[in-house]
Amino acid sequence: MSDLKTSEKLIIEPTFTTPEIIFDPSANRFFIGGNSYPENSIKFYSPVLAWLEQFVQRHTPRPEPLVLEVKLEYFNTSTAKVLLDLFRHFEALYEKGQPVQIRWVFLEEDTEMEDAGLDYQAAVKVPFELVPVNEPEA
Amino acid sequence: MAVSYEHRLLFRHEGPLDMEVLPIMVRNLEKLLGEEGIRPPLRRKVVSSLIELAQNIIHYAVPHEKYPPLISVVRTEEGILLTTRNLVYYSQEIFLQSYLQNLLAMSREELEQFHRATLTSGSYSDSGGANLGLMQVILKADRVEYELTSAEAEYAWFTLKAFFSLEKP
Repeated sequence: MSDLKTSEKLIIEPTFTTPEIIFDPSANRFFIGGNSYPENSIKFYSPVLAWLEQFVQRHTPRPEPLVLEVKLEYFNTSTAKVLLDLFRHFEALYEKGQPVQIRWVFLEEDTEMEDAGLDYQAAVKVPFELVPVNEPEA
Repeated sequence: MAVSYEHRLLFRHEGPLDMEVLPIMVRNLEKLLGEEGIRPPLRRKVVSSLIELAQNIIHYAVPHEKYPPLISVVRTEEGILLTTRNLVYYSQEIFLQSYLQNLLAMSREELEQFHRATLTSGSYSDSGGANLGLMQVILKADRVEYELTSAEAEYAWFTLKAFFSLEKP
């Protein structure tokens, strides 16, 4: 991680308990999706946070917005804490002059997910959009 | 023979619990609740509460061969009852007693404020959650009860019952 270039990707494949993570600066794709209830969230997310820290340090702002899409199904409370740390890095990018948008995607009737999104929206100082989506009942 | 809704057991696990077993339980419970016609928002509340309580057991319960943890999910006429029971040390009993008493005495608004403050405080527990798990379950469920009863030696039984009403989404 010591020689990270801003064009380097971070890709983590999903498991039943951990999310898919795609941080691909060259494609302007930043995505976290699936389940996130690892046994130890700090351990799981440390490389992600380390990647972001270096990305923030080396990133030169550009006019097109950097969009992070978060589409989680189940996430535990330790993930909830780490997500806030993760969002703080996007906040740092925003403070550097990089247009940033966080999209919190949730199932339309899922008020718990909506509330979680509202909590983050209130806690971070970047444009934070709540995006309700319809999904089949099954 | 008609089966009463009063105590229809949907799911029961009594035995060792770890992160290999938990995802299987999650998938099974999702499927069972779907088959019961429980709609996704309520299903998610129940399943995410199961995840929090099961992970609390994995992290904090006393691992005891003779007294493994128990998790059950019962369908009643009014909703879903999720119960967990596990062994804790006496020192944990004291903490749980005061922590849960405080949480359950709070109004929903106070609980939401406390949850937000804990989420943004920057402090972490060993597993990273800063004791947010029980708070989350109390926020998600329509009613939560707990019981701490003496077990042998330095242990106590910790039983938590979370009820989710069908009337709310």
